[in-house]
Amino acid sequence: MVLIISGIGTLIFIYAGGYLQGDPRIGRFYVMILIFMAAMLGVVLADSLLLLFVFWELTSISSFLLIGFNHESEQSRRSAQQALLVTGSGGLALLAGLILLATAGGSWQISVLLHQQTAVTTSPLYLPALILILLGAFTKSAQFPFHFWLPNAMAAPTPVSAYLHSATMVKAGVYLLARLHPVLGGTGEWFYGLVIVGGITAVLGGYLSWWQTDLKRIMAYSTVSALGVLVLLLGIGTKIAVEAAMLFLLVHSLYKGGLFMAAGAIDHETGTRNVRRLAGLARQMPFVFVGITLASLSMAGIPPLLGFIGKELIYEATLEPETAVWQLLLTALALLTNIFLVAASGVIVIKPFLGQPNEDTVQPHHPAGLSLWLGPLLLGLLSLGLGLFSNSTLVAKWLLQPAATAVYGHDLVLKLGLWHGLTPMLLLSGVTIAAGAGVWWLHERWRQGVMAVDAALAPRLGPEALYDRGFDGLLRLADWLTVRVQDGFLRHYLLWIVGTTVVLVGTALLRGKTAVMPSQDLIPGPNEILLTLVILGAAWMVVQADSRLAAVAGLGVIGYSMALIFILYGAPDLAMTQFSVETLTVILFVLVLYKLPTFETKDSTPTRLRNVVVSLLVGAMMTGLVLAANAIPASTHVTDFYSENSYVLAKGHNIVNVILVDFRGLDTMVEITVLSVAAVGVYALIHTRKQQQETAVEERRSES
Amino acid sequence: MEFVTPTINILIVLPVLLVAGGGALLMLLELFMAEERVKQWAPTLAIIVLALAFLQTIGLWGQTHTTFTPEGSSPMVILDNFATFLNVIFLLTGFFTVLISVNYLPRVGLNRSEYYMLMLFSLSGMMLMGMANDLILVFLALEVLSIPLYILAGLSRPRPESEESAMKYFFLGAFSSAIFVFGIALTYGATGSTALPAVLAGVSNGGALALAGVAMMLVGFGFKVAAAPFHMWTPDVYEGAPTVVTAFMSVGAKVGGFAAMLRVFVSAFGSLGQTWVPAVAVIAAITLIIGNVVAIVQPNIKRMLAYSSIAHAGYILMAVAASVNSPDGVSAALFYMFAYLFTNLGAFAIAIAAERKLGEGVMLDDYKGLAKRSPLLALAMAYFMLSLTGIPPTGGFSGKFFVFRATLEAGLVWLAVVGVITSVVSGYYYLRVVYLMYMYDGEGELHTKPALLTAVALTVLATLVLGLLPGAWYEITKQAALQGLQVLAGG
Repeated sequence: MVLIISGIGTLIFIYAGGYLQGDPRIGRFYVMILIFMAAMLGVVLADSLLLLFVFWELTSISSFLLIGFNHESEQSRRSAQQALLVTGSGGLALLAGLILLATAGGSWQISVLLHQQTAVTTSPLYLPALILILLGAFTKSAQFPFHFWLPNAMAAPTPVSAYLHSATMVKAGVYLLARLHPVLGGTGEWFYGLVIVGGITAVLGGYLSWWQTDLKRIMAYSTVSALGVLVLLLGIGTKIAVEAAMLFLLVHSLYKGGLFMAAGAIDHETGTRNVRRLAGLARQMPFVFVGITLASLSMAGIPPLLGFIGKELIYEATLEPETAVWQLLLTALALLTNIFLVAASGVIVIKPFLGQPNEDTVQPHHPAGLSLWLGPLLLGLLSLGLGLFSNSTLVAKWLLQPAATAVYGHDLVLKLGLWHGLTPMLLLSGVTIAAGAGVWWLHERWRQGVMAVDAALAPRLGPEALYDRGFDGLLRLADWLTVRVQDGFLRHYLLWIVGTTVVLVGTALLRGKTAVMPSQDLIPGPNEILLTLVILGAAWMVVQADSRLAAVAGLGVIGYSMALIFILYGAPDLAMTQFSVETLTVILFVLVLYKLPTFETKDSTPTRLRNVVVSLLVGAMMTGLVLAANAIPASTHVTDFYSENSYVLAKGHNIVNVILVDFRGLDTMVEITVLSVAAVGVYALIHTRKQQQETAVEERRSES
Repeated sequence: MEFVTPTINILIVLPVLLVAGGGALLMLLELFMAEERVKQWAPTLAIIVLALAFLQTIGLWGQTHTTFTPEGSSPMVILDNFATFLNVIFLLTGFFTVLISVNYLPRVGLNRSEYYMLMLFSLSGMMLMGMANDLILVFLALEVLSIPLYILAGLSRPRPESEESAMKYFFLGAFSSAIFVFGIALTYGATGSTALPAVLAGVSNGGALALAGVAMMLVGFGFKVAAAPFHMWTPDVYEGAPTVVTAFMSVGAKVGGFAAMLRVFVSAFGSLGQTWVPAVAVIAAITLIIGNVVAIVQPNIKRMLAYSSIAHAGYILMAVAASVNSPDGVSAALFYMFAYLFTNLGAFAIAIAAERKLGEGVMLDDYKGLAKRSPLLALAMAYFMLSLTGIPPTGGFSGKFFVFRATLEAGLVWLAVVGVITSVVSGYYYLRVVYLMYMYDGEGELHTKPALLTAVALTVLATLVLGLLPGAWYEITKQAALQGLQVLAGG
């Protein structure tokens, strides 16, 4: 992986120099891609799960910046945001999954976790951890149903697509799965999760790739497909499958990096990436042609390129499972995917490079410079070279064997070769190439039909549509909440607070279950019933009143009736307090209301109904509280203390008085002080206001 | 009758006294000095007072003291690592607030000498919130914290927005305080005491009344920390109040609310966890959703940061909900607040630099092209936005990491999922600021004075340190969390 990252990274650097020639922002580009490269190396080299996650997020962010590099265009801003949201959310899911994994395995070190497989897979946290980690890996590696961000991310400058979106970043998810395979793998959940998702992605990506007209989109979907294959192989998880995955990872990085760079070169020189408008480029861009041909052949899996060996191994892996059903299914999936890939390679190479130019096609402005063709050519030659010498020690033993061993968890010896004799795999390869050629042959004719079907289905069924709708929904929800809930009316805010209080306290009361019915002596007599009726009548009056004064009067009646109830139950001091407070309140109300205009509009009936319901609920809550309080035996030690000591210690007969002036004398004094200070303050305020008014009057006079 | 004086150890409350005394001194100075001179000296004086209090507070780290012990009862005030740690947060909040206010207030024509005084008074209330060991003291501290804030919100009188915000804040605040006191009364009725250790002892047998008391206190705290659905005042008040006040409020008042909430709920009501944890978890989830979703459509940076602060209250509430069943809950909350302090104040510092006149230059569109005009400040702002989103390597990420871990440890997997999803949503509006700064062109000047730049530099540094070396700092919060609860349980 390190080799892939730094090797291809270097080529990208040279290539970007040519691609972005003359762009004033090239400095920024280099900085961002270096950040990304560092982050990517961090992901691969990190031994701590946490560190891995940190770098993982960094790749998402630098990728966001790189996709949005052409920030003048709405399309690339949108794509950048989409990519960030999809991979970013996956990243957070991954974080949660990693935390669970670390909890289950008891360590944050991957090297330690590698020996904890049994502990992890038998832990109850295994399933949630697996699901969350898979979510993270799937979003990053553009697996179905999150695959849609990758083709859209093609809005990025081509060097970025070549590097991030084919060779490295999207492999991070696969890398993670491979890394954690020894820890998490080997279970049914792992197998089904990866095989199903990987399988769907592989076929879907392949299917979507061959009828696109934009070169980069073809490649993007074929990347999606390849990633699906990788996930599928890791899901199978047998020895050969792992070998195949590692080999295919390398194969794909080599050829896809080359293809993208070639596509960029074409775009750069001709100004279009539409395959229908390109033709006969072989003569103008010979080196690019050689590079792209080699890369495409590798993608199609034609011997003797490395891609062929990769494909052979994939078939070998899919033919391996015990049950015939799986064998058949997996092989069919792989076959279908590969057929599509063959067709896609045909689309990429044959028409644009070998076709006859006509009036529709665009001609290149000038031949591609060295830096533009060096990358694709080198990678193409590498595919060829490694294919030819695949059984050499270098490739098999040094490069792939350690990687496969690390993923598989046990030692294994890898043997690669071009020719294994007449095997089922060879047969399948033949079928693939033939069928792929067939699909390619028909692709012009089928394209219209497929596009029509897609146009009809995608807006309703595609995951991207779902994403869009989710996004719009979120914005609409936000708007709705702002308008509905955050309307700026104090009374509505209050309503929410009161409502929530009722719900919370109500739940508490119900859960407490200690509320009891009042005891016998609380059964009301005629006086109480009369007063209750008066209170109810007054409440009705408050609600119905047309003027504020009438409403206040109604409130006053309620207050005084309450005081009368206090008297009935033998609490004259309480009643006195209630009387004075009530009087004061009414006076204050009247003074204030005097200045206010009369009611202009009354609330609509539903609003009033809602208010009634809330009020009744608050009433019910208070009743519940009183009953609950009643259920707790009153503590009498304070009462006893005062009745025993009032006369003995303070020589007073009136306990309330004694408390005020003696036992809590200091409190009373401080309270009086506070009140006086407040009074002084109020006086000062009134005084300044008067002064201000006077000065204002004088000013006006002097003005006139 | 002999008069029993409670034992008082002044040393313990000295930091609070210093801060409150500084406020009183400022008030008195006005009587003897020309107003202009007072205005000139007020920030310096405030800094000196805060520095003294800070030194005193640091000196108390690792010690546990109680004081104001009435006879036959538990101490009213407790100073343990929990309180000391929170005091550090409050004093730093005060310090940064002064730094960002010095030049802002004269610039927008709000240089009133009472500003620093009110801020110091409010700070003293916040500090008491963490030290209160008695529900009555919690309430007192809450009011000392709130009343100056009501006035501060209306500081730019006669601007209607400011007056409206002060009015709303005051009404709703008074209302929720009333509910809070009601809750205290019910708890007292159920347990026979307002002292936290006695409440802890009696609350399990308190029945429905105790539960109702808990519910009402939850409403009171929920209002102070701006949790949904008690959050409605926040955007209106944050928008209307002068930006420096908003900055102060968004950190100070919130952390103050959580300080008391943690102590009361986790320790005194810990045994009722089965009942209140689900409620707090649901409130946390609603807060996360509302805060993060509604923030998306806000065109005004102050409103956006208001909703963002609501969302962050949600994350801290996650930690509160986790703190009963996970040993990491309280320390995660403390760490989160510590990181939030720097990140949020830093972001506000830049918002203040970008504010042209009072209430102008606060729209998100005003941030267009900031990167060209002032690359360093734009970089700092981008860094703060990343930290608020929770992207490594920032203090915000470390905080979220600890909170999510605690939530998962406590078995609240669904809440962690909500937290994760809403974090993703939050990326949308935070990164939009970055996006506007870097990908558009725009004009408008920035007001950068040395004091403000110092604040930005220090907050960036702190966010970076918390992002790169979270382990060491987490150990400190761990110490702060454990002792706070052990002492109470034993006392």
